[in-house]
Amino acid sequence: MSTLLSETLRPSYRAAAVTAAAVLALYVATLAPTTAMWDASEYITAAYTLGIPHPPGNPLFVLLGRVASLLPFGNVAFRVNLLAAVCSALAAGIWFLVAERVLAQWIEVRWVRRVGAVLAAVLSATAFTVWNQSVVNEKVYTVSLAFFAVVSWLTVLWCDDPDGRRADRILLLIAYLIGLGYTNHPAGFLVGPAVATAVLVRRPRTLLRWRLILGAVVALGFGLTPFAFEPIRAAHHPALNEGDPTGCKDKIGFACTFSDTTVHRLMDNVNRVQYGKPNLSERQAPFSAQMGMWWLYFKWQWLRDPHGTPMSSAIQNVLALLFLSLGIAGGVVHYRRDRASFWFFGPLIATTTVALVYYMNFKYGASQAPELTGVAREVRDRDYFYLWSYSAWSVWAALGLVALWRFLAERAGPAPRWSTTAPVLMLGALPLVGNFRAASRAGEWATREWARDVLNSVEPYGILITGGDNDTFPLWYAQEVEGVRPDVTVAVTSLLNTDWYMRGLLRRPAVRYDEAAGPAVYRGKSWPVPTKPIISLTPEQLGQVPEYLDVREPLRFDQGDIHAVIDPRRLEVGVPLRSDLLVLQMLKDNLGQRPFYISRSTAGYAQALGLDAYALTQGLVTKIAPTPLTASADTVAVAGLGHVDVGRGLALWKSYGFPAALMRRGDWVDRPSASIPALYTVTAFALGQALEDQGRAGEAQSFRQQGLDVAESARITEWFVGAAPPSPAPAAGSDAPRGTPVPARP
Amino acid sequence: MLRLAAVLMILVGFADLARGGIVLAPVALVVGYLVLAPLSLLID
Repeated sequence: MSTLLSETLRPSYRAAAVTAAAVLALYVATLAPTTAMWDASEYITAAYTLGIPHPPGNPLFVLLGRVASLLPFGNVAFRVNLLAAVCSALAAGIWFLVAERVLAQWIEVRWVRRVGAVLAAVLSATAFTVWNQSVVNEKVYTVSLAFFAVVSWLTVLWCDDPDGRRADRILLLIAYLIGLGYTNHPAGFLVGPAVATAVLVRRPRTLLRWRLILGAVVALGFGLTPFAFEPIRAAHHPALNEGDPTGCKDKIGFACTFSDTTVHRLMDNVNRVQYGKPNLSERQAPFSAQMGMWWLYFKWQWLRDPHGTPMSSAIQNVLALLFLSLGIAGGVVHYRRDRASFWFFGPLIATTTVALVYYMNFKYGASQAPELTGVAREVRDRDYFYLWSYSAWSVWAALGLVALWRFLAERAGPAPRWSTTAPVLMLGALPLVGNFRAASRAGEWATREWARDVLNSVEPYGILITGGDNDTFPLWYAQEVEGVRPDVTVAVTSLLNTDWYMRGLLRRPAVRYDEAAGPAVYRGKSWPVPTKPIISLTPEQLGQVPEYLDVREPLRFDQGDIHAVIDPRRLEVGVPLRSDLLVLQMLKDNLGQRPFYISRSTAGYAQALGLDAYALTQGLVTKIAPTPLTASADTVAVAGLGHVDVGRGLALWKSYGFPAALMRRGDWVDRPSASIPALYTVTAFALGQALEDQGRAGEAQSFRQQGLDVAESARITEWFVGAAPPSPAPAAGSDAPRGTPVPARP
Repeated sequence: MLRLAAVLMILVGFADLARGGIVLAPVALVVGYLVLAPLSLLID
């Protein structure tokens, strides 16, 4: 082909834009109005504060998110969520172009090609994981998806005319975008092998053009320069500064920015050293099981029913086989009709399925093979890591569906009867219908209310120990973005194991408690403003705290009237970690001076530290009392929970917004985090039990019913009905042991 | 010309970032990296 594209192959940019706009409208209609569980709050907070989220720090996303947060409409979370929607809609528009380009090789009728292209866009946009991730900015993957699609389109253009005038420029742009995409997420490199294969097959002599190759390397390197954002911004110590990738202690300076410390910390961040993933040769689950995880999530894409009935599971299996077959048929047609772009798209599918599954090396999925006990599992479902896979597969599935359409049309009459046989295309609308309820995040306010409820459970100037993502990130969002209870110091144990987190907590400015904005239960009382830092250790002393103590015998903790015995076997990994030592030091430094709390979402962390006799349940949190607790009129011992502050619990419950928000929504789709609503049910049951013990049977029944209502709305009633009084539910959901050295359990 | 504009825009962004800016810096860096630099590679 001597020109870039012949008339037949001219892309329908306007139609692609209209399709993308329609997809965007769907996403906006189902967009989350605020934050959500897992990493959504972390990324929204990072965007708003121009901070640094967890490694590798995602500088490009933070910059984009910050710009989105400046939009003049909606709340901050809505604006950042909108960024996810726009990126995915852009990707859908580009899949339209890619599909149309492939169809142009074997479908002569223009409107038929366009319908096929719309199918590709709609299927890829409504595949469950793509849709679900596009309506809340839970991760940075939708930005990656946009890069993935743009590079795909550019590569298809290059394959059309690798010797043309613009070909070299396109190749340089591809290299630049791959580098730039990496600064959003390492997934930016996912397209690399497919681009390399396309070049090798389509025009191998390109690799001998050293000037062009050198230019591509320079362009890729230039694309990586947004990583410079991290040390520069970290030197200003933003509210969210994970990894603290700077050597500057107080303020930014030339010498400290260009120091070995900065380089070392930045590289640790970029290379995600703190996660310490095992070598690829050490499989965390059999490869067949890891492929099984991909297949499980593949089945979700076409019909997602999180509450799985036998009927829906059967339909899901049928649809999965259908779309698997359509995708394979689409791949075959692609190979036969458009070999040039196939040698990009085929390797792309291979990279995002088999190669990605091997590279990610996951444990068993959270929802995978529930009958297997005793196997290591991911803390949550990881379908989002295969977003690119399912999105690209949808393009092949659409091509397969068009092939089926053509097959039927050609057999319906002497000339192809496209209109008569068009109803077969309704198959492409099945994910739109089947996923609508599960993928939509419209009206989801519960996470925002959860964060407010937890923070308001803590007395002014309190220190709150949390355990993981879901009981920490929403609190960061509430404090930093919405300004809710910034007087509370939140310290999460998973990050206390790193060397940088405590430095950031010590830098955190003290904020005065705003009585008017706080809950009524704290009004009219005197709350002394803390004058000392939350821990007495200097930064140098903090650096000397060991990663863990290799002790297996019970330890004593004595401070004032607290005499606790810590049995290491009750701790998470069987020995005291750095985080445990720091929590005990903070308790020691603040006892009697500052309210000290442990979130109940930590699944009994207070008890693991031997503090049972001092643990007083106040709503969603446990306050550590300076003296052993005794039962009184308002302090009631409840089986499974210990002492409960009834008066405070009742007052706090009245102020909680989560139950009403959950009931309005009427569902809790994400099962791995369903222990959050369960915590409310347990709280209501405990209050009901305490009221019963006080002879207030009517109120007790009312609270039990409220607890059941929450469970019913979250569809977890079976966790409570007919069972013994439940123990505190593990709700923290740590996505990864960030920096935790884990010695072997004895 | 576009290439120069891209580099200048990015430098302005990083300079403002070093100053502690959180409005101009992200806007300049996004425009530099995502608009001007790609355009300069494609058409400059």
